[in-house]
Amino acid sequence: MHTFRILFSAEWHHFRAAKGLVLLCGLLLATGLYGIYYGTTEIERQRQHLATLPELTRRNIAELKEKFPGPADAGDIGYYHSTFAVHHPDSWAALSLGLRDVNPTYVKLRLLGLQNQLYAADNTNPMKTLSGNFDLAFVLVYLFPLLIIALSFNLLSGEREEGVLPLLLAQPVRPAVVVGAKLAFRLVLVLTLALLLSVVGMLWAGVPPDGRVASWLVLTTLYCLFWLGVVLVVAGLQRPSAVNAVSLLGVWLLLVVLVPSLLNLGVAAARPVPQGIALTIQQREEIHAGWDRPKAQTMSRFFALYPQWRDTTTIRERFAWRWYYAFQHLGDLAVARQAAAYAQGLQQRYDLVEKLNLLSPAISAQSSLNALAGTDLPTHLQFQRSAERHHDALRAFYYPFLFRRVAFTHADYAQEPTHTFISAPELTTVQHGLLKLLLSVALVHLLGLGLLCVRPVTPR
Amino acid sequence: MTYLLEARALRKQYADKLALRGLDLQIAPGEIFCLLGQNGAGKSTTINLFLGFVSPTSGAAFVNGLEVAANPLKIKEYLAYIPEQVMLYPHLTGLENLALFSSLAGYRYSQPELQGYLTDAGLPAEAVRRRVGTYSKGMRQKVGIAIAVAKHAQVLLLDEPTSGLDPKASNEFSELLRRLSAQGTAVLMATHDIFRAKEVGTRVGIMREGELVDVRPTAALNAQELEQLYLTYMH
Repeated sequence: MHTFRILFSAEWHHFRAAKGLVLLCGLLLATGLYGIYYGTTEIERQRQHLATLPELTRRNIAELKEKFPGPADAGDIGYYHSTFAVHHPDSWAALSLGLRDVNPTYVKLRLLGLQNQLYAADNTNPMKTLSGNFDLAFVLVYLFPLLIIALSFNLLSGEREEGVLPLLLAQPVRPAVVVGAKLAFRLVLVLTLALLLSVVGMLWAGVPPDGRVASWLVLTTLYCLFWLGVVLVVAGLQRPSAVNAVSLLGVWLLLVVLVPSLLNLGVAAARPVPQGIALTIQQREEIHAGWDRPKAQTMSRFFALYPQWRDTTTIRERFAWRWYYAFQHLGDLAVARQAAAYAQGLQQRYDLVEKLNLLSPAISAQSSLNALAGTDLPTHLQFQRSAERHHDALRAFYYPFLFRRVAFTHADYAQEPTHTFISAPELTTVQHGLLKLLLSVALVHLLGLGLLCVRPVTPR
Repeated sequence: MTYLLEARALRKQYADKLALRGLDLQIAPGEIFCLLGQNGAGKSTTINLFLGFVSPTSGAAFVNGLEVAANPLKIKEYLAYIPEQVMLYPHLTGLENLALFSSLAGYRYSQPELQGYLTDAGLPAEAVRRRVGTYSKGMRQKVGIAIAVAKHAQVLLLDEPTSGLDPKASNEFSELLRRLSAQGTAVLMATHDIFRAKEVGTRVGIMREGELVDVRPTAALNAQELEQLYLTYMH
């Protein structure tokens, strides 16, 4: 233990002397702080945008009250009145934005067909989306391994190449203790930076002090331990520093870039998902065809499904809102299977990635951090289901007005259902991610230790 | 008698070369044994086997009665090593390097004590707090000597230790070896320097192609005879 402490302390001296590495750590710290700033700013921007939506609804209601000063036909109200299903971000989302930049954070809903409204999103800059998010999770998952590589590629080879190793190993010091002290120093350094950034990020984002704090910190620690294990494996091969650097960068490229890309392609091929646009087109065609179908045919199909409205009067007029909404509703039902298949396909892709991400701890870590922050795909699908339920509630609210020919009064606006959805963490994914990372850590460390046993450290 | 260094039928075969062919050697306390021989004769391999840096193909090396292969850590408490080119941590000062290696050997010295070891080894006082990166080869060699002395080792393994030292420093080093020898330290020194071997050694051994072909007490030879003997084996 005494020797370990001496070597550990010597590592601190070596680190302080390596100005480039000190600078790199400072740079990464600054980059991490920028990542936190980026994430919190983005979530604040989304929050501010989402905060304007109730005002839009209030204005819309005010306009409708002005347009329809007395009791009105609910069909008119349902057509002109829009409400919002909003996906409020959890404060954790600032640390790991996940899919919040590509998936809509709110859905504008009217009483019309649901499906085309569900997939209508604001236009975004595709170039910006392509470049991804520069949040704290990105810094931890993608950039921290590079810091670990920069700090450790010459873990033993540096001393061997400088010629210090013979003098060092001529002392009563176990080579394993030398390696252990070097790794421990790097672990402490990297974890200090990673955990400091995480804590700053949590305070900045104002996350609640619950179990997720520990989960985030443990995930970060395990991920750093994994990369230090990779370093141990490469050091165990006892190759020159240049070979080590290339090998480690190769592993980084493989696990952080290539495997995720190949997995993406492989999963897309293995789990084909119907195109969302095809679903929307089919729904629109079904709805447009509704104008040309005999009203009786439309209504009998609708009543077959919703017999509770059967007793309403026969439609004799050229246009009736209840007929209009009936064929809108049938348009949704016509693509219900495709819509379910689309959501199920996305979920299946996600599940397959979750199974295969054992191949890349980078994907596993990113996926776990997104799940922790409630910014992953399952959370988005939950939001979509909640938007669907809200639309169902709107229909349930308006249909009595429409089918029982009850006038819609100003007081009824206040009775309209409201929507609430806040991202919740996917704790199962987080638990699985922790287990996978633990397994990866054990694997690389055992392999590294095995290599050091098989190939004892030699001074030359 | 307990020898501080002993080799019994020590043999080392590398992939394509037999570096040592059954070496038998005993070095008693206070003895300075100089190994002479051309490059590749097996001098450094012998030292590396005593250090445990390489494993013997057969036979055994002993330090203070302990077999090196079985006690790789313990034997290092007894020995100090000065390689041909002492390489140190370049960003640490001479003082810091000495403090580090001494503490690894289990010794904690005060700053004046450390400075004393360095200046005794011939390092100028103004250089002890300079980064080793600015040192000449000879200055690094002196720090290496200070590290060895500060370890109070019973055995010194020296591989061309005076390489890079000026004649004055070499003489001082010879004097130091004599002093340590008088205190009971056993020294095994690989060298090309016949005259230094004659001057400081108690015995010289001539190695050729992995074999110790001749061993003579230096007292029985003058410098010319030793040179003649050496040249005889080298041709």
